[in-house]
Amino acid sequence: MSTIIPWNLAVIPERFFFFRDAAFYTLQITTLGILAGLIIGLIVAFAKIAKNPILSNLAAGYIFIIRGTPLLLQLFIIYYGMTTVVTIPPFPSAVIALGIHNGAYIAEVFRGSIISIDYGQMEAARSLGMPHSRAMRRIVLPQAFKRAVPPLGNQFIIALKDSSLASTIAVPELLLRGRQLGSSSFMYMEMLIIVAIWYLIMTSVLTYAVHRVEKRLRVSDRDQT
Amino acid sequence: MTKLKEPFLRIEHLEKWYGDLHVLRDISLDIAEKEVLVVIGASGSGKSTLLRCLNFLEKAQKGKFYLDGKKIRNNERDLNRVRQEMGMVFQHFNLFPHMSVIKNVMEGPVHVKGLPKKQARNIAHKLLDKVGLGDKADTYPAMLSGGQKQRVAIARALAMEPRVMLFDEPTSSLDPELVGDVLKVMEDLGREGMTMVVVTHEMWFAKEAADRVIFMDDGIILEEATPEKMFTSPENERTQAFLKQILPQE
Ligand SMILES: Nc1ncnc2c1ncn2[C@@H]1O[C@H](COP(=O)(O)OP(=O)(O)O)[C@@H](O)[C@H]1O
Ligand SMILES: [Mg+2]
Repeated sequence: MSTIIPWNLAVIPERFFFFRDAAFYTLQITTLGILAGLIIGLIVAFAKIAKNPILSNLAAGYIFIIRGTPLLLQLFIIYYGMTTVVTIPPFPSAVIALGIHNGAYIAEVFRGSIISIDYGQMEAARSLGMPHSRAMRRIVLPQAFKRAVPPLGNQFIIALKDSSLASTIAVPELLLRGRQLGSSSFMYMEMLIIVAIWYLIMTSVLTYAVHRVEKRLRVSDRDQT
Repeated sequence: MTKLKEPFLRIEHLEKWYGDLHVLRDISLDIAEKEVLVVIGASGSGKSTLLRCLNFLEKAQKGKFYLDGKKIRNNERDLNRVRQEMGMVFQHFNLFPHMSVIKNVMEGPVHVKGLPKKQARNIAHKLLDKVGLGDKADTYPAMLSGGQKQRVAIARALAMEPRVMLFDEPTSSLDPELVGDVLKVMEDLGREGMTMVVVTHEMWFAKEAADRVIFMDDGIILEEATPEKMFTSPENERTQAFLKQILPQE
């Protein structure tokens, strides 16, 4: 019984795939949350840039509230707080919270990348006789999206890790599964290490994918000074 | 050198403020068809603003504009149409970095005029040949020198088949050895009969290509003359002082 390491690491490979379904949950919450966040983010970014003060103030207020409060609180407000109006099951609650939360951050990413595009680009397009909306779509946005890729990738990785908060409202994702299997087997550390490995695999794949996309997009600015 | 005809482009009583700053003060100017007009003046005198008001990238507070005798109305549809007839070349090129050179040139014909891609591509190839960059069609702007970029920008503007070309210090951000190629293209364009308004301090170009030179000072046109007159015996003191600064000393 005198091992140097006080844990039974051999169970890690044995039990690794006990977490497959949980990992799938994590992936689903994250993907749907990010998709919702992208849609919300795009709309809010345009609202905030808009000349209409009502729109831009609404967008600013949304971003202020969401970025100024914890995601866990937002999740509880949707899952527990809303029950007097409507009961939302755990999984959709997690997706909605993650979507609303990421929407605010992604809006700032999009807004920042759109306003970072030199105004001369819009002017050059307008000087050809192109209407404003078409110039936005054809000239400004493609460049802005390109600049948004690295910070978006970063945000996706944060979202993936943040999805673990869904464990607090009984969504059977990775972290909750780790705690359940840990307590039932008395091998907490081993199970949590498995959870960590799953997260690392997913974040690594995501990081790699973002790098690939960045590289593909960089074709046009080789030698850019 | 006189090509005097009906004024082709006419500006009447143009006034432009940026907040409290009165940048253009009651400017009236007629430009004849096929005329090459060079605009000189100190930095901040309003040269860029004048060009930008001409194709409505800036909205003037007051003033009337006529193109070919027709009044230009201040609504988006009219302006988009008028801008198609006025090519603009910027000091910093403003090429579209996410598009290859040929796509830059095709952008206007295809996505503004709605020409078929094939036809636009032919036009673009011809124009790139004309500006000496036929072999650069498929490269991206980032890989070109400043002089090459500016020639692509000229081709991009020409692809719309404009009736007037506006140039805002097209060579002032270029290394000296690259200036010549760009000016050569512009000189040829003038010789072919393009109506041009050119803000530049390249005296060589003004002497060779201009029909008329105007000197702007603090938002007004202070003096206007033929290039010979302007550069040898300007009348106004301020013009003399300005030219003394920029002309090579003999
Ligand atoms: N967008 C702007 N907002 C405020 N002031 C401006 C703007 N653009 C130009 N100006 C001011 O208007 C004046 C004329 O500028 P400009 O037309 O660029 O001069 P030039 O091209 O002759 O150097 C300058 O005093 C400049 O600072
Ligand atoms: Mg200027």
